[in-house]
Amino acid sequence: MNTLRRFGVALIMIWMVVTLTFFMIRLMPGNPIFDAYQTLLQQGVPSQQALVQIHILYDVYPNQSVVVQYLLYMWHLLHGNFGTSVVYTGRPVLPIILAAAPWTLLLVSIGLTISFFIGLLLGVLIALHRNTWFDNLMSQLASIFHGIPNYITGFVFLYFFTVILNWFPFGNIYNPAIHPGFSYGFVASVAYHSVLPIAAYVFGAFGTWTLSTKSAAMAVLGDDFTMADRIRGLTSEQQLEHLVHNSVLPLFTGFVLSLGIMFGGAVFIEETFSIPGLGYLVATSTAQRDYPVMQGVFLVLAGAVIVANFLADTLYSRIDPRIRV
Amino acid sequence: MSEIALSVNNLVVEFPTDSGPLRAVDRVSFELERGTIMGLIGESGCGKSTVAFALLNSVPTPGQIVSGQVDYPGVGDLLKMSDEAQRLFRWQHVAVVFQASQNTLNPLRRIDEQIRELATAHRMRDPKALLERADSLCRRLRLDSRRVLHAYPHQLSGGMKQRVGIMLALLLQPDILVFDEPTTALDGLSQESVLQIIREIHDEEGLTGIFITHDLGIVSEVADTVAVMYAGRMVERASSHTIFSGPKHPYSQALMNALPRLSGDPHLARGLRGSPPKVIGDQFKCLFRDRCEYRMEVCDQSEPQLIQVAGEDAQVACFLHGKEVERVSV
Ligand SMILES: Nc1ncnc2c1ncn2[C@@H]1O[C@H](COP(=O)(O)OP(=O)(O)OP(=O)(O)O)[C@@H](O)[C@H]1O
Ligand SMILES: [Mg+2]
Repeated sequence: MNTLRRFGVALIMIWMVVTLTFFMIRLMPGNPIFDAYQTLLQQGVPSQQALVQIHILYDVYPNQSVVVQYLLYMWHLLHGNFGTSVVYTGRPVLPIILAAAPWTLLLVSIGLTISFFIGLLLGVLIALHRNTWFDNLMSQLASIFHGIPNYITGFVFLYFFTVILNWFPFGNIYNPAIHPGFSYGFVASVAYHSVLPIAAYVFGAFGTWTLSTKSAAMAVLGDDFTMADRIRGLTSEQQLEHLVHNSVLPLFTGFVLSLGIMFGGAVFIEETFSIPGLGYLVATSTAQRDYPVMQGVFLVLAGAVIVANFLADTLYSRIDPRIRV
Repeated sequence: MSEIALSVNNLVVEFPTDSGPLRAVDRVSFELERGTIMGLIGESGCGKSTVAFALLNSVPTPGQIVSGQVDYPGVGDLLKMSDEAQRLFRWQHVAVVFQASQNTLNPLRRIDEQIRELATAHRMRDPKALLERADSLCRRLRLDSRRVLHAYPHQLSGGMKQRVGIMLALLLQPDILVFDEPTTALDGLSQESVLQIIREIHDEEGLTGIFITHDLGIVSEVADTVAVMYAGRMVERASSHTIFSGPKHPYSQALMNALPRLSGDPHLARGLRGSPPKVIGDQFKCLFRDRCEYRMEVCDQSEPQLIQVAGEDAQVACFLHGKEVERVSV
């Protein structure tokens, strides 16, 4: 019942996001459709004919009211039709997004998972070695990396490892000379191209996870049951297991939410490394005012956050026995 | 002949603080005879729980046992044993019913899982046997074992959790039980039922243990001997009968007078003013002198040691008693 209600809330939120982006985008300066219409008029095309041409090209009438456009858009959306790009004339939006999404998903999920586990390991170790040189050093490092935005790390990595050392390729996510597919060469090429952007993401995010884990683990170490576990003669492995399990719970929600947020948060990294993912698509479509594409990407990004939120709530009650749904 | 189950010798425990090491337990010595219960009393913060933790070499960090022996005849000095031997010693030989028992269970494991973990930790081949023992203990503690064993800690009430705590403490049949204020966190009704259970078990099995409490009524009922702690020191030790018929140390007297009395001299029924000092470093004076109405010159000059009171089964650390009294009064 609760799950159902959450699901309903998620749907309403997605609708609100769609509506907001629809109108926000149209408030931004610059309108390619109107520009194209003007150009046609200047070329001496009669206005009636220009309207028809624009309609054939972009599937909209430039003089149509925004409300009608919105209702039409929603109607199409409900039928799974995201519209067509106005920049790459005639190309439907959905395939454009579907082509970009896997790269983002790849970078985000791997980067997030690696940084989460590094942070978990370091955070627990720091909590277990409070006030030692290890604690001082690692806590400092974690705070520093926590404060550096990932595009700066990305830029430094890019410069150092491609320009100076020439160890890694620059730009794109695979070698264009290789035909995409599930071949060894293609997968290897993707892996090779992913190392730097993933590393940039990991370095930008592990500090945050380390600090959160540290504070969670310290709270658990101060709990009475930790003291009792020791006095009951539990083995070090059992005690560590209890510590990790109890420390992970407060991080879980943040982890799932990050998965959603990072779809859009990878914008800078994708731009720095010219990776044709969703973030890159956001940047290019916004620059070109490609309304339907922008609209579609923002919908996917916001949808990811909302879905992640829904998942975090729903899953959390399954992993923590104290929460009953 | 009485058999010694535990002998503590000159135990010192310190907690580092900004102004120096805080001596939470200072040169405490005592013996515990098999089949007897020692009541350990004293105001909050005087080091009772710290003594209890030290018996298992488990003083909470950053505390440290600085010196002393915790000798279990037949086993040896716990502090000199290997880490693994100490680990196995804990709970198999000495178990604790905790003061903060409400939160001493891992919130993410069902009770029976925690019992299985105990079986694994203590290298038992058959966890089922332990679960069966838990089941029968539960019934004895008037717990619905089917429900309780499958429950997560948060599904149990405070009184149930405390009884689960007692069940876990009895589970490995330890030689010595430490009750650290087993009822303070409970409401009146649960307190009474938990105490009733402890009484029953003691009557049936003759427990060996230490009973820490603020409730002198319970002490007079269950304890064979009583030790009084003040600011990390043991200031009086006597048989229960002796101390309740006539406490020697002014602090013990004050503690007993602080109890509400129905009858007797209203002059005696006064509370104790002030609070115990936090002790850092060696002291060369009596720590109770500021609150003591018998304060003498000597109390500012040296610290009284625990000495045998001639002709009685009592020991007291006060210049009013023993040889020092004579020397001072000359
Ligand atoms: N983790 C700790 N860090 C610093 N000091 C501590 C710590 N635990 C105990 N102490 C100090 O040790 C002294 C003795 O504490 P302890 O818990 O043994 O008292 P207690 O007699 O059990 O009191 P209570 O009746 O309140 O349980 C106190 O003065 C306290 O300040
Ligand atoms: Mg205590």
